[in-house]
Amino acid sequence: MDIDLGIVVRATDEQRAGVATGLARLAEERGLDLVVVDAASTQGTLDPWTLAAWLAGATKRIGIGIDRPLPPAPDPTDSTAPYPSVIERARESLERIARGRVMTDASAWVVASADADAATLADLAARDGLPVVVPVSSREELERVASFVPDRSGAKGRRRSAAARARRVAGIDYDGVPESLAETAVEPGDAEYASVASTYLRGGQPGLVLRPRTPEEVADALAFASRHPDLPLGIRSAGHGISGRSTNKGGIVIDVGAMDSIEVLDVERRLVRIGPGATWKRVAAALAPYGWALGSGDYGGVGVGGLATAGGIGFLSRKHGLTIDHLRAVELVVPDGRLVRATATENADLFWAVRGAGANFGIVTAFEFEVSEVGAVGWAQLMFVTDDLERSLRRYGELASTAPRDTTVFLVTGQPRQGMAQLQLYGMVDNPDADTVVARLTPFLELGMLAEQQVVMTSYESVMAMAADVGPEGQHGYGEPHSRSAFLDELTPEFARDAAEMLSTGAVHFFQLRAMGGAIADVEPDATAFAFRTPAFHVTAMGARDDRLNRAWAPLRRHTEGLYLSFETERTPQTLRDAFPPRALDRLRELKRRYDPHNLLRDNFNIDPADAPSLASDQTPTEAIA
Amino acid sequence: MTDYGHDLLFGTFVTPTAKNAEHVLDMAVATDRAGLDLVTFQDHPYQPAFLDTSTLLAFAAARTENVHLSANVANLPLRPPAVLARAAASLDILSGGRFELGIGAGGFWDAIAAMGGRKLTPGQGVTALKEAIQIIRELWDVDNPEIVRVDGEYYTARGAKRGPRPAHDIAIWVGAYKPRMLELTGAMGDGWLPTLEYIEGGLARVPDANARIDAAAAEAGRDPADVRRVFNFMRVGFAPSERGLLNGPPEAWVDHIADMALNYGVSAFIIGGDDIAMTERFGAEVAPAARELVARERGR
Repeated sequence: MDIDLGIVVRATDEQRAGVATGLARLAEERGLDLVVVDAASTQGTLDPWTLAAWLAGATKRIGIGIDRPLPPAPDPTDSTAPYPSVIERARESLERIARGRVMTDASAWVVASADADAATLADLAARDGLPVVVPVSSREELERVASFVPDRSGAKGRRRSAAARARRVAGIDYDGVPESLAETAVEPGDAEYASVASTYLRGGQPGLVLRPRTPEEVADALAFASRHPDLPLGIRSAGHGISGRSTNKGGIVIDVGAMDSIEVLDVERRLVRIGPGATWKRVAAALAPYGWALGSGDYGGVGVGGLATAGGIGFLSRKHGLTIDHLRAVELVVPDGRLVRATATENADLFWAVRGAGANFGIVTAFEFEVSEVGAVGWAQLMFVTDDLERSLRRYGELASTAPRDTTVFLVTGQPRQGMAQLQLYGMVDNPDADTVVARLTPFLELGMLAEQQVVMTSYESVMAMAADVGPEGQHGYGEPHSRSAFLDELTPEFARDAAEMLSTGAVHFFQLRAMGGAIADVEPDATAFAFRTPAFHVTAMGARDDRLNRAWAPLRRHTEGLYLSFETERTPQTLRDAFPPRALDRLRELKRRYDPHNLLRDNFNIDPADAPSLASDQTPTEAIA
Repeated sequence: MTDYGHDLLFGTFVTPTAKNAEHVLDMAVATDRAGLDLVTFQDHPYQPAFLDTSTLLAFAAARTENVHLSANVANLPLRPPAVLARAAASLDILSGGRFELGIGAGGFWDAIAAMGGRKLTPGQGVTALKEAIQIIRELWDVDNPEIVRVDGEYYTARGAKRGPRPAHDIAIWVGAYKPRMLELTGAMGDGWLPTLEYIEGGLARVPDANARIDAAAAEAGRDPADVRRVFNFMRVGFAPSERGLLNGPPEAWVDHIADMALNYGVSAFIIGGDDIAMTERFGAEVAPAARELVARERGR
């Protein structure tokens, strides 16, 4: 059997400091798993923690162990006693910079005697299932231990050190990860964990990230997840989601980022097949050479999978419709593991559901879109300062909703400072004629005092390209976003007044209006699971604290209806009813019973198959007025 | 016009942001590869967004070859003196004599208290730092056969075992701005380590501070040249035209550095910015030319 072997080094005087470094490096070279720093040294000798941190820096792969219990209480008068709080920070820091290679608790390894033979070491390893470490003080002694390292040339998947395995989460069957996924799976102890743990707006600590590359592997991942029904399960395309919790704490994440191909199927019909892991920035870049574009949201870093299963309200929606309106076919792995193709004629009910509630029904492995011809576009970024926010909002509402379909202007603002609000307008005019672009945008210039402006003729591709690339370090959001979403049929004076009032509270630091209308409303509300076809605007409000946000947001509710699930973080039964009108929700629930009876996919606006139909009076009085 | 005649040192001031840990380490490696002399890290143990500076120093020391390392500056209130002394000496040994000890009396007392530290007034903090430096020097003085005995108001060390023995004479650089701190620096420090932008009145007030340090050094029977003047510069940048001190084309940087070395006694120049490209240019286009110019001027 395979065992984890390591060494114990001591550093009791200055000469031995260099020896310890040499031994740690040699241990790593010889394929050992762990170097334990003997912390039972006394004053006057090398500081064990400094040595451990140094050895971690001097090595790349091998685990570093140091027993460092916290002292009971701080004693500022004792000049030799470190603060427990600082020790705790030091531990966290070393775990971070040494990328999970560090263990700081002696119960995580077993110390054998210096002359233990192979059989003794194997017995110790078998007894506790822990790595076994042997005290050594020379290269010769180390080589003797290294000679007991088992031959691993035939082993499959990646081998994880004891330090890495010590960070596994209870309740996940790590050894049962399907062979197809084992090589690309990431666990908390892996070097790349920090780069996959968090998403754009959310800090996470998943217990396991599975990274399938094919539909078959997606099916394997879902089968594995279904054996862990009590753990959170997140589905991630590019990790930009707000409602889609594409990370979690202690659960499983299925990350389809590797399935990011973009392929033109039919130039005549402008038919394009796209994997869920592609970002809209890459999609825009791939379509640009053909003179095409596919409207998405307002940020190129967003992934295709999350957006194209929810809606897609973006810069081209007024002229060309929602992203889902361009969808002609999807292929998805449904919870029972089948790969299903859905189109207007084939599995039509599933095709309906995927366009607005896709996260409940499967993991899409390919989208086929009919994209639009889009040439040069006007792109504007305007910043205004106004002392009459209410008036500016009202006027923006009139202008943005009555503009021609080629003109889509969004607005972002936050809390006014000293009575002055900053309005950022950004938008696109899908028209290649510069004079027309100027004519379309000129009315907006009266919204306040113009502080900054940029208007250029450019391409949809260039606008999407403004999103920063996510490098190998991944994304590092932290905490939880708090966001409310709603639709607005019309931006009334009363809404403008209440919105200005809400913003003055400071509970909302990000407030966005996205102009809708135009081609979005050309589609019947029951044609897709996304049902809000007639509103003039989508409203988003984000705040630092949920309770404050709710209090500030409540007065706006009388003006709004429904919500767009991509921008809502609340998860109450009422939120689900806001996301889908009763008829749609009943239909979705029936489909959910068919495709996901055990409710495997429950991360994003979960439609619980066990719930009663929403048309029945299942609301409690409190929920009904909430 | 003051010049203490030290060789010039050049370095970087790095923000140890935990979520950019890779970049923090890259900055250390870049500083080393650029041939600079010092990589230093802020130390704010109560700041959860930062890495623990002592741990980072040890890790970064192992990833670099020639550069010296220091906290900029170590937060004494949360790093008791004997702990600091031993960690410093240990890292000096491990790194082959590449560790220096930047140290400060601390500020942000509420945050320090929240971590379990004690709240001192700035005046008490100066006294505590004085006692701490005594203890640190005692513990490093391995050849002294006497028993360690420091009975301070804030720190005591009785019978603590000396050692380990540092691999080289670790310099103690004191972060100081106010008169009593400057006097302490002159009396006990191997260096004065302020951030230029935090000196009230800026460079124009440096001669006054130098004079105070020098007088305190003389009073303690020391040579003012025993106290190296090590400065941090935060608002730096390379630009086509001159915008300010160490902000402009490399030639302007060189002139500024020579001026500060020859007329203000500053001999170590540490730049903030956390920028790798700037670090490389500092090493390639500024440090050698500034050394050359200062050597030439000193030789006149």
